[in-house]
Amino acid sequence: MHPPHRLEIRGLTKRFGPVAAVTDATFAVEPGRVTGFLGPNGSGKTTTLRMLLGLVRPDAGDARIGGRAYRDLPDPARTVGAALEAKGLHPARTGRDHLRVYAAFIGCPDSRIDEVLALTGIADAAHRRAGGYSTGMRQRLNLATALLGDPPVLVLDEPTNGLDPAGIAWLRGLLRDLAAEGRTVLVASHVLSEAERLVDDVAVMHRGRIAATGPLADFTRQGALEDAFLDLTGATA
Amino acid sequence: MNLVRAELRRLLTTPLWKWGPAAALLSGGGLTALCVLIGPEHFDPPMPGVATDAGARLVLSMIGLTVLVPALFGALAVTSEYRHGTIAYTFLFAPRRHRVLAAKLAAYALAGAVYGTLVALAAAAGLYGTAALKGVEVGIGAGTAAGLLTGLAAAMAAYTVIGVGVGALLRNQTATLLVLGAYLYMVEHVLAIIPGFSLAYPFLPGGATAALTESSLMSAAAVEVTGRATALLPPLLGAAVLLAYALAAAAAAVLAPMRRDVA
Repeated sequence: MHPPHRLEIRGLTKRFGPVAAVTDATFAVEPGRVTGFLGPNGSGKTTTLRMLLGLVRPDAGDARIGGRAYRDLPDPARTVGAALEAKGLHPARTGRDHLRVYAAFIGCPDSRIDEVLALTGIADAAHRRAGGYSTGMRQRLNLATALLGDPPVLVLDEPTNGLDPAGIAWLRGLLRDLAAEGRTVLVASHVLSEAERLVDDVAVMHRGRIAATGPLADFTRQGALEDAFLDLTGATA
Repeated sequence: MNLVRAELRRLLTTPLWKWGPAAALLSGGGLTALCVLIGPEHFDPPMPGVATDAGARLVLSMIGLTVLVPALFGALAVTSEYRHGTIAYTFLFAPRRHRVLAAKLAAYALAGAVYGTLVALAAAAGLYGTAALKGVEVGIGAGTAAGLLTGLAAAMAAYTVIGVGVGALLRNQTATLLVLGAYLYMVEHVLAIIPGFSLAYPFLPGGATAALTESSLMSAAAVEVTGRATALLPPLLGAAVLLAYALAAAAAAVLAPMRRDVA
């Protein structure tokens, strides 16, 4: 189906004025697996993802998607689907029209819009303006936007924010299925209880640095992921 | 081409554009009809009437005062991308950012030209319709009027592009609207108190717009008050100056986002 795409983040560094947001972050994300990019709020996860996606210019280091920088991908939105925080929607535009705008960028047919609306469970709300959507529906619409190009790589920033328990279970199933198809799935999250049930691999970020990487099993050998995480990030339970 | 289509879809899927035709009717037809109805000879200070060449030009030149409408429209369209954070997704779908801005400029130049055409048609109806109602003969031939209105329609497209450029440069919606409004309705007029300003005025956007109709309320008032005409550029040169501003704004719009971080 898709050629597998490995993500390589190598020495990414970014300062915003006096704040060292990300320092020398290096890790890899393998195809066919769900990788949890875990860390407390403000630890630099979002900045790292934005550098991976070419939205923020790193001070040092680089990030590769299947060997190329994001902006050098021949068909970026058909290679990487990204859902950032529950922003990025014009409140006066309907869900379907939002998808039609982005579908035009990659020239995908209206039938694909119906597919992603059905896949993300918001077909019934598609005719409504996004300004009236709940956070969970915004998350689903952003995910639908990410899936438009049927990409082999998915990058999601806190995708469970605002989802109810049924929504979280649904998302878990969807992401597991997508990974099982050979896609590369990178999910940034600070909610460990959810991550533990979803991910195969873990990269932990703390204060802008990668504190640990490895298969989930390495982190849960001594007990819950939460304990390992709190050890790594120096917080006490 | 995909990008231009995407930008046109973006424009037509929020209610903003629906104000365009109404604004065009009002600032083209409504304003012109009102000026003819009152008659420039009843302005304060009194101006030449519609039956004269200068008077008819003056009435059409009043439309030049409404260029803020397309400028704000272009500015609003670009800055709302930053305001609502859709710009991040836009740059994800088209990481070559200059292509996004070039597509926006093309889409909005087109929208501005449509708006300008509506303004021109409404103005023609307002001018000739109201003059006929009043039983006044319009002081310029139909060919001259068509030329002037074509120039004004092009000016509307140019100001839309200027709005897009300023919006892409400043990104903050409120700041952009304030800068455009203050410049077009205040700065050029305040500058007029500086000695020697009349030498620079023809090269400012307002002066270049006035050159298209070889008339403006400001210069006509100056003639009435001081007896001296403010020099304006010939119409084609005025059009070239306006085009230069639009191109400068377009260049700014294309270059500005190249290296910026997108929050």
